Amino acid sequence: MRGARAYRALQDGQLVALVAERDAGALEALYDRYGKVAYSLARRIVVDETLAQDVVQEVFLSIWRDAGRFDAARGTVSTYLLAMTHHRAVDVVRREENLRRRRTTDEALEFEPDPKPGVEDDVEAAERRDQVRAALAQLPQAQREALALAYFGGYTQREVASLVGVPLGTVKTRMAAGMRKLKDALREPGREDEAEHPWSRR
Amino acid sequence: MTHTDFEQLAAGYVLGALEPDDENAFQRHLEGCTVCEASVRELEAVVGKLAYSATPVEPPPSLRAAIQREVAAAARPRGVRATGPAAGAGDVPRIHRRRWTTTLVGRLAVAASIVALLAMGFWNLSLQDQNDRYQQRIAAFEQASRLLNDPAAQTVRLEGSAGRATALVSSPQDKGVLITEDLPALRPGRVYEVWGIPKGESLNEAVPAGVFRPSRGVALVRFELPVTPTMSFGVTEEPGPAGSRTPTSNPVLAGAPTTRA
Repeated sequence: MRGARAYRALQDGQLVALVAERDAGALEALYDRYGKVAYSLARRIVVDETLAQDVVQEVFLSIWRDAGRFDAARGTVSTYLLAMTHHRAVDVVRREENLRRRRTTDEALEFEPDPKPGVEDDVEAAERRDQVRAALAQLPQAQREALALAYFGGYTQREVASLVGVPLGTVKTRMAAGMRKLKDALREPGREDEAEHPWSRR
Repeated sequence: MTHTDFEQLAAGYVLGALEPDDENAFQRHLEGCTVCEASVRELEAVVGKLAYSATPVEPPPSLRAAIQREVAAAARPRGVRATGPAAGAGDVPRIHRRRWTTTLVGRLAVAASIVALLAMGFWNLSLQDQNDRYQQRIAAFEQASRLLNDPAAQTVRLEGSAGRATALVSSPQDKGVLITEDLPALRPGRVYEVWGIPKGESLNEAVPAGVFRPSRGVALVRFELPVTPTMSFGVTEEPGPAGSRTPTSNPVLAGAPTTRA
């Protein structure tokens, strides 16, 4: 283990390589970078604090056990880690159907309009959030709703169709169009080759 | 389905929102389609960014501490004496890593990974899909839980071109469970087959233990065969749906039990 400062200088991919060599400090450094966003996502999906903590703990321990599974050719560390967080949180929601009943549909259905004022936040995470929210704001309401139900609600396309009251084909079209627009809006010109998340460049 | 239909499914796929039929169809298509594969990668990156739209919530310090604790427990050196001065220096970390699944911590880690895998397995089941597959997975999970609690059961690590897997086997009970995590998807009409190979025998003497198709790389396969404590295990790709009587290809995964310290 080296000092915390040494880890901060490393890129995400280098941290994962160290984790694969059983370097606990590297895992902690990854947690310091992504623990908060992972927890925020898990909380948003499962609502319950304890379950959200379980999800995040599982994600980081699974990276600890199986860092070798991360394939840099497939995407960045942040994509991998947050996708895993999403999968597991959605899985919890699907198993615990009562979680869904506990929240009102409005909560589940929409991406949140604004962060609550006064929330301490990382500047770069805040920038990223603004960017994603601006991209979401450009989508037609029906597309945004379909994506939110799937992403935060953990609903399948057929479930979304019956909740919204439209045919399954319409939901498929809406999700495809919505994702395509988000992809275009979030494209970072000239940064395609930069495999790592901005946080890794500290 | 036309290619355009598949292109449209990519969004639902990366969101994990496809119905099982669509998901299976899309996965098969994905193997041969570089266009859709590229599209899935791009969309996965978008899904990763969506996480940032959630309102930031500070995790409790206890979460960081809990992760640290678990990691420290798993990282603590064990069995250093057993490697001895005679062992080649280069071999030490390897031996070390191989032994860890036979320890209690290793056992717990296997238990945790089974729970995680089960979760991933259920990921593919829609709420309406509580049918045979569901029952089979429950049965496999129960068998895995029983084996984990059985002190006579052994953990066998399998490795190979197809990644890694873990088998829990019990010689007294002649039963086992194979847990895979990231097996490559199969072409239509092909299956994976599990084999037990008695010590000293060639692949031709392998005993078939069942066939399976992973879902998103994940499988929890229950099997019964005359297990001996030194038996090694392998997985090959075979013609489906029934598999073969003897292996017709080289194993994509194989492993022998590590001797207990």
